[in-house]
Amino acid sequence: MAPLLQIVGVQKHFGGLSALAGLDMHIDEGEIVSVIGPNGAGKSTLFNVITGLYAPDGGDILFRGESIVGLRPHQVAKLGIARTFQNVHLFPNMTVIENAMVGQHCRSSSGVFGSVLRLPSTRREEEQIRARAVQALDFFGSRLAGYRQEQTAFSLSYANRRRLEMARAMATDPTILMLDEPTAGMNPRETLELRDHIVRMRDEIGLTVLVIEHDMRVVKGVSTRVVALDYGQKIGEGTYEEVAHNERVIEAYLGTKAVG
Amino acid sequence: MPFNRLVRTGLVGGIGVLFVALVGLMAKVADINLIGTQVTGAYTLLALVPFTVGYVAVRPRVVAGQIESFSTARSVRSGAVAGATAGALIAIAVLFTDRYGVDRVREVFIQVDPDLIELLSFGQSATVGAVILIVGGGALGAAGAGFRSLNPSQRRNLGMAVSVTLLMGLLQRIIPIMLVQLGLETDWLYSKVTGGLTWIGAAIVFAATWGASWFWARRGRTAKETIRTMTREQPGTRLVAGVALLALLAAVPWLVGSVISDVLGTVMVFMLLGLGLNIVVGYAGLLDLGYVAFFGFGAYATALLTGATLNTTTGSAAPALSLDLNFYIAIPIVVLLAAGVGVLIGGPVLRLRGDYLAIVTLGLGEIASILLASNWLTPLVGGPQGMRNVTDASIAGFSFRDPQHFFYLALAFVLMAVFLSWRLANSRIGRAWNAMREDEQVADAMGISTTRFKLLAFAMGGAVGSLGGALLAVKIGSLAPSSFEIIVSITALAVVILGGMGSIPGVVVGGLVLIGLPGLLREFEEFRLLIYGGALVSIMVLRPQGLVPNIRRSRELHEEDRSQDKWAGDLSADEQVAAPLTPLGEGSG
Repeated sequence: MAPLLQIVGVQKHFGGLSALAGLDMHIDEGEIVSVIGPNGAGKSTLFNVITGLYAPDGGDILFRGESIVGLRPHQVAKLGIARTFQNVHLFPNMTVIENAMVGQHCRSSSGVFGSVLRLPSTRREEEQIRARAVQALDFFGSRLAGYRQEQTAFSLSYANRRRLEMARAMATDPTILMLDEPTAGMNPRETLELRDHIVRMRDEIGLTVLVIEHDMRVVKGVSTRVVALDYGQKIGEGTYEEVAHNERVIEAYLGTKAVG
Repeated sequence: MPFNRLVRTGLVGGIGVLFVALVGLMAKVADINLIGTQVTGAYTLLALVPFTVGYVAVRPRVVAGQIESFSTARSVRSGAVAGATAGALIAIAVLFTDRYGVDRVREVFIQVDPDLIELLSFGQSATVGAVILIVGGGALGAAGAGFRSLNPSQRRNLGMAVSVTLLMGLLQRIIPIMLVQLGLETDWLYSKVTGGLTWIGAAIVFAATWGASWFWARRGRTAKETIRTMTREQPGTRLVAGVALLALLAAVPWLVGSVISDVLGTVMVFMLLGLGLNIVVGYAGLLDLGYVAFFGFGAYATALLTGATLNTTTGSAAPALSLDLNFYIAIPIVVLLAAGVGVLIGGPVLRLRGDYLAIVTLGLGEIASILLASNWLTPLVGGPQGMRNVTDASIAGFSFRDPQHFFYLALAFVLMAVFLSWRLANSRIGRAWNAMREDEQVADAMGISTTRFKLLAFAMGGAVGSLGGALLAVKIGSLAPSSFEIIVSITALAVVILGGMGSIPGVVVGGLVLIGLPGLLREFEEFRLLIYGGALVSIMVLRPQGLVPNIRRSRELHEEDRSQDKWAGDLSADEQVAAPLTPLGEGSG
């Protein structure tokens, strides 16, 4: 079976810097793939290229066998690829529930006339949007439940902002969920909780997850496969154990052994 | 209080008074009797400045990490110094003019005349006048400083009572008319001789306002709460309240008479512009400075579709292209076309943001006004001479040209626009606009087609704005390009900003304040822009979220406070999570 998402020789240059230098990788349906690598390895650039924020300078990206290069970000989202951002990007002055409801935007279709006249179909759709948003928020248990849903996003704690961002992405009903350093800034307990959440995203909701992560406990705990990047290229791939013992990966993280 | 700071504040106030006097505003308000013959507009203005200077001069400030605090006596002394400084500056100007010769000063400052000098020296000699200015300034400054040392509720009651009394005096042309229409006696309140309030009337207004303010502070919250629960629990009350409000609005034109109805008509034309622009600027966050294009389009399209004629030097001529439709058939067409124009204007500027968008739309608006006056379009829209014989939108002989009738047409249009804005704001579309305004890139990544929703905002804003233009055409019956210049865009934007961006009640209040007040106080017509500017600057400083803010928008403007509290907020939120006693799913809200 063809992979769900296939990245074929993708290149992205910023001036003289090659953020992605002919990267090849793939993600199969139902996998949790972790992307690791030192700072500046090209991980976030990979996310931006996949979601259409950047146009690649070369190569191709295939989703279910069809190229998605050149699509606008909202089209990519509608196809079923949702993401979070490394530095949390919520709509800070909208409430928690509204943030999640924005996620449902691309799965709904009410237009001007429906909205102004509040047609039965629009009302029904609005109820569905709200229900789906609540469902996405409830994935995180009591963290984003109840009175919190009517609070504004900026009033949330840091960890909850990250959770809300994930809930918003999940509310777009994606096939692939891409998480950019979801545990950054979380305390150890919250990190472990999130590790379980990522596994549940696949097992309970059936999402395919692509995650950039620095915390090796999380990488070890969730990954079906790990891809290690450095200088925009794949330097290792396999299970966590394989990658953890890969010489090039160790070198990339720790530097070359001193000679003599 | 450091001496030089007091002097500085005083000088700023003094310069303010000199400015007002030199531009002629002081002389303008000299003949308006607010209360009796003693409190005139000029003396109120003159007294208000040292008072404010005293109040401002003793504002608390932080020195070496501590809030400076003074005894009341000391701050009153400080206020006196500041107020006297303001007075002294005016006194110097008066003495200088007196010595140097009024006529010679007048060569430069044309508004300076013997009457003004007499006004500023209180009918005495220049020297005595100067002494009065300084001593009086000191006393008022002291009073201003004393005012600050009152406790907040006293301050509010007193401030409210004084402002309402002065406002009643200022509205001497309007309130008596309304009272007479209601069949009430006005002689006890307004003097027929002076035009302003009588002293007894002023005292009654003052006491009544004081009482109301005091009562509201004590009971207002509970009263508001009662009303809120009542409307929530009994849908019937809401309906009754709505009908009562409509009935009240319907009575307005007959209550206020023809002149004020005319002003209200203009107010509502600008309310429509404000509501439309609010969709573009307030909801979608696209700063459009060329909004006049839609206003002009609506007006001229209505004229052309309903069979108006061109003004020519020899008489009138038929436009190159026109239809002779009924107004109510033409309006939907105009609105749809205007939405199309919105898309056309929005198209080229889609990729622009913020300042760039503002500049380009400003240019597009200019193009629109130039086109209306151009030779090229003269066969269609009459060029500089414009058009006439625009329909009066009559229904079965009931003409809407009459200001009191026009009010109803305008009201219907405004209510429609309010309804449209409100429904759009609380829908999937409003949510998308909101998200786009907060973070365009993220909104895109979350599946919102920003292109589409920007165009939609321009189209909706354009449609509502064109309604305003159509109304204007009906109101005055003739059109000229001079009504469609950049000042319209600026005024509409001022209405939105003053009221509060993204707030529908804000636009209504903004329209009443910015268009209604100057319209009622016709004598200030030439100072209109000065007053606009002053009002906008004050709002930006004192109440940046607008008069009736949109809740969400007012939060945005307090972004800094928020980041200050961030850590405190994070801590408390985490504690809430960690607290083992919080039962799951049983939030306190």
